[in-house]
Amino acid sequence: MRILRRKLATALLAVPVMFGLAGAPASAETIRIALAETPSDELAAFFVALDRAKANGLNYEWTAFSDEELAIQAVLSGQMDIGFGTPYAAMQRSKAPVRIIFQLSKLKFFPVTTKKYEKLEDLDGQPILLHSRGGGTDSIANVIEDKVGITFGQRSYVPGSANRVVALVSGQADATIIDLSNKNKLMRQQGDAFNVLPMFDVEASDEALFANLDWIRANEDDVQILVDALLSTWRDMNRDPTIIGRETDPDGPIGQLPAEILGGLDDFYIEAVKGGLYSPDGGGRVAARADMEWYSEAGQLDGDPESLNIEDFWYLAPLDQAGR
Amino acid sequence: MNRSLLLKLLSAAIVFGAWEIAGRVPVSYAFPTFLDSMTALFAMSIDGTLLRAYGETLRPLVAGIAISALLGIVIGLWIGLSEFCDWLFSPIFIVMQAAPLAALIPLLVMAYGIGLTSKVFVVCIMAMPVIVLNTASAVRNTPSSLKEMGRSFLGSDFDIVTRIILPSASPIIFSGLRLGISAGFIGAILAELKITPTGVGDIITYSRSIADYPSMYAAIFSIILLAVLFLNLLERLEGQLFAGNNRGYVSD
Repeated sequence: MRILRRKLATALLAVPVMFGLAGAPASAETIRIALAETPSDELAAFFVALDRAKANGLNYEWTAFSDEELAIQAVLSGQMDIGFGTPYAAMQRSKAPVRIIFQLSKLKFFPVTTKKYEKLEDLDGQPILLHSRGGGTDSIANVIEDKVGITFGQRSYVPGSANRVVALVSGQADATIIDLSNKNKLMRQQGDAFNVLPMFDVEASDEALFANLDWIRANEDDVQILVDALLSTWRDMNRDPTIIGRETDPDGPIGQLPAEILGGLDDFYIEAVKGGLYSPDGGGRVAARADMEWYSEAGQLDGDPESLNIEDFWYLAPLDQAGR
Repeated sequence: MNRSLLLKLLSAAIVFGAWEIAGRVPVSYAFPTFLDSMTALFAMSIDGTLLRAYGETLRPLVAGIAISALLGIVIGLWIGLSEFCDWLFSPIFIVMQAAPLAALIPLLVMAYGIGLTSKVFVVCIMAMPVIVLNTASAVRNTPSSLKEMGRSFLGSDFDIVTRIILPSASPIIFSGLRLGISAGFIGAILAELKITPTGVGDIITYSRSIADYPSMYAAIFSIILLAVLFLNLLERLEGQLFAGNNRGYVSD
């Protein structure tokens, strides 16, 4: 009987713990932002926008998660208000009322190989190194297979473009897909040893800001301030990429990064803007449509992309308002 | 139906019931119900996904656990019997046990690459220390009167180890094995989540990235189930080898 009582007590204890996971309701004053990675040069523009928003009266706090899926889960369970990522699959499958409000960056990745290969067709049946199964580079590989009519050989997964570059340079792999800044760095340093294969243009989102729809509606003013700040930063950045370096708060999370990274901010953003990484209008309907097509083709969204309703994935009002 | 089985079923029903309710509320959009997860588990078992995944996961797990169990018991015996070895090896295993393994994984990857070797190492680092330290302390604490009796009956050193020390230490050795093997399961999944996603770790990360949460929880559930089954099996083995040790552990 004692064992029964103990087991019953344990089980009863589990219930409130499970309910506790639901988290406290969002506070109106401070918005909680879930970053998908620790602050790095890639996030400098976002922090500049946050500073602009703060100047207009937005209170925020941020938490860096170790990966995008955790950030998405934190927003889904209400522990965070705004998250980073492209949670299309989560929106469609879990029926979570989550909407994207701003496209932060486009999925600009590049197939880089050793001199063995010269065009995408050469990669038919060849092994390739990607970020993670079901992730962005995996979806690029899927779409390449579809469009070029090839099938990659064994796909191995190594998270992080920089790590894949290491594998490529050390000869552990002959083909991979990496991001713009790592591609540029690699080609600058060892351009004679590697090829960047020509590829079709991708307009789909890599990182976007998303939030719970109910939370957006309850906090429209805050969301508007944030989207206004983002749009103004993204526009200014497209005109002059060096404003990110100039406006970075030396006491903020980006300002505290090592001097080498801060010194490279200007080059990073000049190259990124030139490469079309940042849409000057925050994505909006064009990006949403491109995402529907891309993520359907990549297998993250089910159904015919034409039949998918943009409004089920994006909340466009703040961006429309900011664009006026 | 006997009483202990009834209680076991009741306890399972309560936990799964709470899971089902929590999934239905839902506590989070990322938390599926028990029934959805079981449906996903069933689907994955039928189409062979789970079988293939375990084909991958079991390799580092079985290799790591086998190495840890054999080597662990031998080293543990040695440490328990000789003070010299105690000084030589104990500190290594105490440090291994205390080390935050997840933080050391990049080091392992640097040394052994991203293949099977690193994963076996992770399993061993998780499993071995507790097996070694438990075995050593059990051997050291063999009642000296029993050993003296063995000697007075003219038993050789070998006889004393196999006939007296091992049987006397066996309950603690087996409890070390149980703890070590559970830790080995944790290590295998940790390796698959942190090094390269393969097998069950791949199902967990992939399902999470495509927001197929029922499959994610089904994979987690399946590995827990496997660990429990394995521990039950180990207890059966202990019962076979050393009758009289049966004091009831996991199958209580």
